Amino acid sequence: MYYVAKVDEEKCSTYNCKQCTLFCPEANTLMFDEEKNTAWVNEPRCKGCALCVYVCSDLLKRDCIQMVMVTAED
Amino acid sequence: MGLRYLQPAPGFKEYLPKDYVDLIDFGPFGKTDQLDATKLGQFKEIVEEHPMCAGCFMAYFVRVFYASLPNPEDTIVLGTAGCARLALSQAAVPFIYGNYGDTNAVASGLTRALKLRFPDKTKDVVAIAGDGGLMDIGFSMTMHSWFRKEKFTTIMVDNEVYGNTGGQESGMSPKGVQLKMAPKGKKFDKIPATELAKQAGCVYVAKLAPTNVKRMAKVIRRAILAAREFGPTFIHAYTSCNIEYSIPTEEVLKDAREREKKDFGFEEYMTDEVRQYLEEIEKKEKANK
Ligand SMILES: Cc1ncc(C[n+]2csc(CCOP(=O)(O)OP(=O)(O)O)c2C)c(N)n1
Ligand code: SF4
Ligand code: SF4
Ligand code: SF4
Ligand SMILES: [Mg+2]
Repeated sequence: MYYVAKVDEEKCSTYNCKQCTLFCPEANTLMFDEEKNTAWVNEPRCKGCALCVYVCSDLLKRDCIQMVMVTAED
Repeated sequence: MGLRYLQPAPGFKEYLPKDYVDLIDFGPFGKTDQLDATKLGQFKEIVEEHPMCAGCFMAYFVRVFYASLPNPEDTIVLGTAGCARLALSQAAVPFIYGNYGDTNAVASGLTRALKLRFPDKTKDVVAIAGDGGLMDIGFSMTMHSWFRKEKFTTIMVDNEVYGNTGGQESGMSPKGVQLKMAPKGKKFDKIPATELAKQAGCVYVAKLAPTNVKRMAKVIRRAILAAREFGPTFIHAYTSCNIEYSIPTEEVLKDAREREKKDFGFEEYMTDEVRQYLEEIEKKEKANK
């Protein structure tokens, strides 16, 4: 089991944002999907630092990212 | 310029590893466009996965660095012992591992050799090392490369500690700070690295905390462009070590913003000729957009 970030894509897509994707310390991990207009997380690469939650919730007050527990099979 | 060289021969693409193919389909391989760090998250990056700690802002800096290179296909990055090389060595541009402390001597020789071997080509050399690598153990080689006006860029990723070896004090640790392997507390101030760089002859010097991608990209680019024509350039970047300074990972950006207000406010110095040169380039780029 490990911790990863999960984006509420429906909620994120209501904004025109892309802010969290500029601060993740991991390469090719917190991505932005132009078509769906939402950020999304490449989960096997996420290290669970929750820096993106700070950007989305603390700085922007948009609350679109949550940290969740996943297992390797998920 | 992107990474135009890196195009697979016809019929060969299907046999290449997925990461390589992704760099062709969604990244800069085979393209001539300038990389754009302000679009991070929207393209496949030349730095792959890395083994640095969760929430490491030095790893974040490396990511932005690789997305800001003005000429990635002709750039050689020089790293050394210390945390940053763990990510620096995972990118799709040439990387050389200098012995600890030797980076700026190796970079000097390399820059000169490239001038001799490829007189008609622009090759960029960038040495990136920690505070220990550049301001302690490699201090004399860093300073002498500046005194000699060697034309390459030096970037200090300053986490104010020897992070990779478990928390020894460095010349860049702040006064009074207690570290795991320096429990008595630092008795001296941080070395004034940017002041030394200016005095030693660097033609472009910047100091920043990684809070603003656009500005980081601009500074990295400016430092590399100025080094091509005029002389040594230096960037002093605050890149916290959340492990040795016990910063909760989700607060790493908050910490960087606080330090920016306190003692890592943005500073940029350049000589008049560098300013004129960069302004001309940037004006042309704006007109082309
Ligand atoms: C000549 C030499 N001396 C000492 C070491 C051991 N060593 C490896 S990393 C390191 C310190 C790294 O500190 P810094 O340069 O600040 O980089 P950081 O890990 O903090 O990013 C040391 C002393 C070495 N590899 N080579
Ligand atoms: S910061 Fe929040 S709203 Fe903005 S792109 Fe990221 S998840 Fe979406
Ligand atoms: S938790 Fe950290 S590693 Fe994972 S997506 Fe968010 S910023 Fe990136
Ligand atoms: S020890 Fe510190 S500087 Fe090194 S990878 Fe971990 S957080 Fe980053
Ligand atoms: Mg260090």
